[in-house]
Amino acid sequence: MSERLAAVCARELVSQARKNGQIWCLDGDLADSYGATQFADALPERFIMSGIAEQNMVSMAAGMAACGLRPWLFSFAAFLVYRAADQVRVCLSQTGLPVTLVGSHAGGCGGRNGKTHQSIGDLAVMGTMAGIDIWTPCDPLDVFHAMDAAAQASRPSYIRTPRDPCESLSGTAGDLRWLTDPSDYVLACSGLSAHWAMEARRAVADVGINLSVLHVGRFQPLPRSLPMLISSAKRWYVVEDHLRTGGLDDRISQVIGRHANAWFGWPTGWTGGSGSSSELRESCLLGSQQIAGTIAADVRGVA
Amino acid sequence: MLQPSNPHVWGTDSLAGQVRAKRIRRRVVELIHATGEGHYGGSLSMVDILCVLFSRFVDRERGDRFILSKGHGAPGYYATLVEFGILAERTLEGYGGFGAALQGHPDMTLNTAIDFSTGSLGQGLSAALGMAIALAQTPARSWVLLGDGECQEGQVWEACMLAARLERGNLIAIVDANGHQEYGFRRRGEAVQPVLNLAEKWRAFGWQVAEVDGHDHLQLTEALNDFSRFRLSPGVVIANTVKGRGSALLEADPDRFHCGRLTACEFREVMEELQ
Repeated sequence: MSERLAAVCARELVSQARKNGQIWCLDGDLADSYGATQFADALPERFIMSGIAEQNMVSMAAGMAACGLRPWLFSFAAFLVYRAADQVRVCLSQTGLPVTLVGSHAGGCGGRNGKTHQSIGDLAVMGTMAGIDIWTPCDPLDVFHAMDAAAQASRPSYIRTPRDPCESLSGTAGDLRWLTDPSDYVLACSGLSAHWAMEARRAVADVGINLSVLHVGRFQPLPRSLPMLISSAKRWYVVEDHLRTGGLDDRISQVIGRHANAWFGWPTGWTGGSGSSSELRESCLLGSQQIAGTIAADVRGVA
Repeated sequence: MLQPSNPHVWGTDSLAGQVRAKRIRRRVVELIHATGEGHYGGSLSMVDILCVLFSRFVDRERGDRFILSKGHGAPGYYATLVEFGILAERTLEGYGGFGAALQGHPDMTLNTAIDFSTGSLGQGLSAALGMAIALAQTPARSWVLLGDGECQEGQVWEACMLAARLERGNLIAIVDANGHQEYGFRRRGEAVQPVLNLAEKWRAFGWQVAEVDGHDHLQLTEALNDFSRFRLSPGVVIANTVKGRGSALLEADPDRFHCGRLTACEFREVMEELQ
């Protein structure tokens, strides 16, 4: 079963909030778009419809956290990260207050909403915010893992979730997660792109290539074991629902000193657009066959 | 007879308050002059407001929170905290310098006496609203001091609108309306107020509004005392002040002393005025 991950998060938050009276849910008037209505229905006394005013919502949550509450904020990633960037910088990053941002409809697959609602550079922005943990779950298991970690942390967190519903993948949830058995050829991914990676794996398997898929669920700070796993691969690739600047490949290269053998993501200079996820992906060479073709050519070239 | 919100801090008469305010002003001028330059005007305009707030209203033992949203007034804030024994005087040493105990703008991570970090204008009212929500089931109150120039920030009005909708009567704002900002708007060469019809704007957003002389301790006390009683609506005091209050030299040039420097000779002159 596929489900929007922000909806999974909202439902789980109700369970956590029933056990922890400090948890509140704040929404930027989009609750019905990603399922935060579940919290509003279950615990209305701890739900604040904050209006279409993301800057106030972020600073207000910081004030609540300064008095011991644990606010969780829901909105579209584009509005939380870009509209309220200064509030995130001053009220969360610089104070370290434990506020959790849940950005839904993140990345480039925004359907008919178009470019204003896409956030293809949000990881780059949030990645400059010191002291904020960034989570990029790919399925419900990962959401639970990120939520547990955010709930236990005494610092701010950002959980990035896509608009496209996501089905469960294999493997054990964690900061870093093998979605397949490891092999010599590794495709690293984060968030929604894990599903694109699994499609590409199936496509290259048809031509005899065993491509393993490694999911990075904790984007900031990167898991310590990631460089070792990447470095031990014969060839490695990155697919991400983000621009290259400030994205997964960029972050990994800062650690290990080199970029992926091939990279797949939203192209530099692209400002976004409307369309189905498959249309948008294929127009930007992110279709599973396109990814598989490039990887297969790379593997054959090396061999 | 005014009834205090907290009787145990009541008892500072107006004369004693004025003496305290003058002492705070001297400390502000010494503090800024020692660092070279800084926000004389906006620090001095709010001293009487802070003096009344901390002598009679902000009760930290009760759990009250205070946010200086106009963070550039930090010297006035720090000097007031020292005056009321909330900050040790030694923490002022080297203020704003590398490794100092206090930053140029309030930083809550450096000292527990500072309830929230500010400096990027327009965010303090939102944080104070969050605190008012968190303190709703307690007798504590959330206090926030804004500048009138700061009220140009859209976020102020986002918070203003939501606070009234949430009926947060334990949230009390004061606007230090000194009538100036850094560069400022001008009409035919004359400076005009940063935000026109300020009281009407707050009233239109659903707040209880009082407008007072921001240097008159009794007027401030009366207005704040009124808002300290239980209410469903948040309250704001528009405190009309003079930028650089306390020194004729500083009051005469609000543009230069928004963030300026005193010569050694001027410093002596100002300190004599504040004796």
